[in-house]
Amino acid sequence: MKRRAIATIATGVIALATALTACSAPITDSPQASASGSQSGTSTTPARALRVWAGSTTPISVDFNPFHVDTALYGTYGPIYEPLFFFNQLSADAAKPLLGDSYEFSSDGKTITIKLKPNLKWSDGQPLTADDVIFTFGYGPNKTDQLLSATAPDATTIVLKYSKPQFTSAPQLLGATMIVPKHVWSKISDYQAQTNAKPVGSGPYTVKTTSDASYTFTFNTNFRDPAPAVTEVQWIGLDSNQSGQDMLSTGQIDWTGMFIANPDSVTGTGAISTMNQQQDPTVVVTCANAAKGCKGAQTDPAVRQALNLAIDRPALAEKAWAGLVGQANPAFVLLPRDQQWLTDQSLAASPQAANIAQAEQILQAAGYTKDAKGFYGKDGKQIDLDLFSPDGWTDYNDAAKLIAEEAGKAGIKVTARTVSEAEYWTPVTNGDFQLAMYGLTQSIVADPYSNYEQYFSGKSTANVGDAPGHGQNYSRYANPDVDAAIQAAAATNDPAIKKTEYAKIQAQIATDLPYIPVVLNASQAFYNTKDFTGWPTDANLYADPLPYISVAPELILLNLKPAG
Amino acid sequence: MRFYLRRVAFYIVTFWAAISLNFLLPRMMPGDPAAIMIGKLRRASGGRQLSDETIKGIYALLGADKSTSLWDQYLAYWVRLLHGDLGISSTRYPYPVATLIGNALPWTLFMVGLATVISFALGIGIGAWVGWRRGTWVDQLVPATSLLQSIPYFWLALVLVAIFSVQLHWLPIVGAYDPFTYPSGPQASWAFAADTIVHAFLPAVTIVVSSVGGWLLGMRNMMVSTMSEDYVLTAEAKGLTPRRIRDRYAARNAAIPSLAGFSIALAFVVAGSIVTEQVFSYPGIGKLMIQSVQGLDYALMQGVFLVITLTVLAANFLMDLFYGLIDPRVRTNG
Amino acid sequence: MADRLAGIRYLLPRWSGKLGTGLIMVGLIIAFGLVAPLFAADPRDSSNKGLLPPSGSHLLGTTKLGYDVFSQLATGTRGSLYVGLLGGISAMLLAILFGILAGYFGGWLDEILMLITNIMLVIPGLPLVMVIAAYVQNTEGLGEFARSSTLVALILGVTGWAGSAVVLRAQARSLRTREYVAAARVAGEHGLRIIFVEILPNLVPLIAAQLIFGVMAAVLGEAGLSYLGLGPTNSITLGTMLNDAQTGQAVGSRAWWWFVPPGAVIALLGTGLALVNFAIDEIVNPKLRLAPQAARRQRRATKAGRGVAGGGAFA
Repeated sequence: MKRRAIATIATGVIALATALTACSAPITDSPQASASGSQSGTSTTPARALRVWAGSTTPISVDFNPFHVDTALYGTYGPIYEPLFFFNQLSADAAKPLLGDSYEFSSDGKTITIKLKPNLKWSDGQPLTADDVIFTFGYGPNKTDQLLSATAPDATTIVLKYSKPQFTSAPQLLGATMIVPKHVWSKISDYQAQTNAKPVGSGPYTVKTTSDASYTFTFNTNFRDPAPAVTEVQWIGLDSNQSGQDMLSTGQIDWTGMFIANPDSVTGTGAISTMNQQQDPTVVVTCANAAKGCKGAQTDPAVRQALNLAIDRPALAEKAWAGLVGQANPAFVLLPRDQQWLTDQSLAASPQAANIAQAEQILQAAGYTKDAKGFYGKDGKQIDLDLFSPDGWTDYNDAAKLIAEEAGKAGIKVTARTVSEAEYWTPVTNGDFQLAMYGLTQSIVADPYSNYEQYFSGKSTANVGDAPGHGQNYSRYANPDVDAAIQAAAATNDPAIKKTEYAKIQAQIATDLPYIPVVLNASQAFYNTKDFTGWPTDANLYADPLPYISVAPELILLNLKPAG
Repeated sequence: MRFYLRRVAFYIVTFWAAISLNFLLPRMMPGDPAAIMIGKLRRASGGRQLSDETIKGIYALLGADKSTSLWDQYLAYWVRLLHGDLGISSTRYPYPVATLIGNALPWTLFMVGLATVISFALGIGIGAWVGWRRGTWVDQLVPATSLLQSIPYFWLALVLVAIFSVQLHWLPIVGAYDPFTYPSGPQASWAFAADTIVHAFLPAVTIVVSSVGGWLLGMRNMMVSTMSEDYVLTAEAKGLTPRRIRDRYAARNAAIPSLAGFSIALAFVVAGSIVTEQVFSYPGIGKLMIQSVQGLDYALMQGVFLVITLTVLAANFLMDLFYGLIDPRVRTNG
Repeated sequence: MADRLAGIRYLLPRWSGKLGTGLIMVGLIIAFGLVAPLFAADPRDSSNKGLLPPSGSHLLGTTKLGYDVFSQLATGTRGSLYVGLLGGISAMLLAILFGILAGYFGGWLDEILMLITNIMLVIPGLPLVMVIAAYVQNTEGLGEFARSSTLVALILGVTGWAGSAVVLRAQARSLRTREYVAAARVAGEHGLRIIFVEILPNLVPLIAAQLIFGVMAAVLGEAGLSYLGLGPTNSITLGTMLNDAQTGQAVGSRAWWWFVPPGAVIALLGTGLALVNFAIDEIVNPKLRLAPQAARRQRRATKAGRGVAGGGAFA
């Protein structure tokens, strides 16, 4: 089964590069500038639809509600509903304008002034104005106490005033808030109850047809720019990666993002190309904090450190991920993108080959002794850890099995087991676990702030038994030094200060290891370069070519052209 | 008449027992499926409060809080069912279970029905032939079919897909129809009907290959037994042609008891179809069942189980009536 | 004494090619499952390279994680045999309980037991097993047992006895009317004693046949459940091997040495058991054996020009 990428970014992300905050550069390179196709070109015989498998399973349940973060169909975010700007997670470039034209922070970071592009329309022909944007920011889940006022001096200008600095929230507010039409949603009292079968959006596509096996988008005649060259996109539902691989190699689908252990088997024909991005850290999350109610030997940092050394990462990468993954690092920065934020270069990669001797040394120094069966324990209690992963997430299952074996070699008893996907999330969020395979979502801009704030801050966690109300610090890690450094980094725009604060955080989390880094997960994209051109390349990574992520597919679809 | 009354009474009792089993199963478990299900629905709905109606529905289906007596729960459960309310799915939130089943059932009835008819016809036909030619090399066919029957369904299906769909490109890989030709879903046309048959072919073949052995063996054995009955000898003595003896005397009488094994064979086919639908992503009831079990969507699981059981009961009931019609003996012997 | 021996001889299957082949196949697989794990390498040793094709050091290659397929197959065969036997025996015991009591005592007990049996018979097995497994395996407090092969076998046994019970009941019912049973009853023998001494021994071939069916059904059932992700997780069986191969995309990676052997062992075990069953069937229903023989004899005679004119029904 495939994992659904997180469609919206959790609150409180990253301070952007300072250039953006001081003076908002008017950005003009719209992505479709190169695709100077004329609108008339679409009225002739349309090229065949681009066929995508983004991970939908059958039967497809129609749901284009942008507020259904988990169940909205792929393509809802970007091709249909758009945010104001696009933040490309693959580069440190400035945000690209979508509905917005430019934005500007006040010097205290509490006021954002946004300019919209002129003459925008919704797909039903109604004008899209500052009113809709203001409505969106005050609607449903977007509501926040921090927003003091939202005003529109004119039809294309919005001024948002907040009670706290919002430097770090730009990607969330401007890049992940889908603007919805006021004339539709103001009539809806319960926004969660909608499946929104006929969405009115601003993106380049509208829904043409839906069935239980697929749904098709066609170009939006009211789109602000010339119609995309790919006028129809069909999103299909499949139920296994094996089917996806079969359909890809027989030329029945053009674009997908999935894990294929032997990519040569599908790229061999020359029609399909692949790109492998390594971004999101795969970790062993530990319930690390006994003070918050965690139970088990993993609450002792020495045990976590020993485990960290016992893992044979190259073997794991080879066997569980067919060698397609990247090296994780204990500083939780994405290299080389975040190179400027890494102070101690010894933290650039986690230990690779297993170091059993050193692992045992750490345990012995911490007072653990080996029992007759060859496992370490303390005070007559054997270390006996439980490591689980969701059924069918093969890479996690395989990795867990191997980690358990390798830990055993270092005298740490770890039992790997799988649970149904449904039974995976509850213990992880409530802290009712010892060790679990887990994936962190990499910060989407070139700054690791959101990684620290989301996963390591004491404010982002809760006692065992409760789910964190904010953030995803499921390890229950709480370190006053780290919290202070995170706070200091959020309040400043000075890169030098930020770097010093980050260095403090990195030193602490690399020693405490509440999340034991394993690898940087592989995100493989496969796309048909024979029938369609304009896909991102290593030289021009204008967007991540994964069909299941949020917003980026819009940029890709706008840039594609039928070949020949 | 007494036969029919007994059968009807039996099916009414079985019907009641199946529904009651469905009621009791989640309540007999030490855990609390209703609470788990409500938690799931809450998560699926984005963490907001569920309506009282939804919560009441889940309690009625999966077990209420301890304050209500079991009898009251049972009554509430029946009331729900009679209103066709099977709850709301958590894996396919916010779709009602009844809608999901309604969409999936026709596909399964079509594909499994096709497979059952082919399997039955092939099994009876070949079985009669093998029984007729008993004592020759064709006897070896019987162990050969038991090999086919012993192959796990899904394994066979995976191999068939790898050969006929991926390697040879002869048949589609997944689905019930071609979503690229019919992007807006099913339509009423001959071309579409042909497309559904092409898509149902390989799944149906998987079921046929694995289930034909059972029919074949039963028919062959009945045929062999029938051939030594006195009336066959009499027919021979009368000088009737072998063909006439085979078709009119032996095969016909041997086929009747084969029908009696229908319910066992059908259970086999149903089990096979669940697994096969998963391999071929066939949008039927079996795949829904698997999704519900994997996602611990108890409401959907209960609903699908109920519908499968009732469908199988109905098929058996029809077969019983038919059997009573063609074989008067069962009407008197019961 | 001679009578007694003749009786036992009557109960033993007659030797035939089918029986011999079946016994050899089943015997080899059982021996493989019992003996091979003793000397095969650790089936969970991942220090080998992944997806190696068969070679001298790895007879059947390795899996994606580097597990030796031969070792896995040996352990998996043992695991599947365990599930098969446990599931088959528990189904058989229930079938004996329901079938023979109903058949022997008749009356209202027969009515009730047969009603339960028939209900179990028409309720489709796999969906029921799935529902029960989904509930039971997610019950808290069962610990390791919740996903063990023992529990899977028991679930398969509890749901898979009805067909056998019907067969046993029919036979027990006809035995009840036999004179020696009537005699025992007149002599005042206790009902249960009659069942154990007079009836059960005569049902041995039938019970054996049903047990074989039960074992086959449990082995296949376990494979099916494992494919659906409801199989045992902490032991290796042929079903979990197939599930690993399926999730590890063995078919897509063309690693035939990974997914063919477990399927083949299941199919061969099933075929072997079925062949043994044919031989038993021929005891239960002698016509099945005698009629083809008679037909063959007559055909030979006709060929030699010694028979009745025309082929008649034996063409």
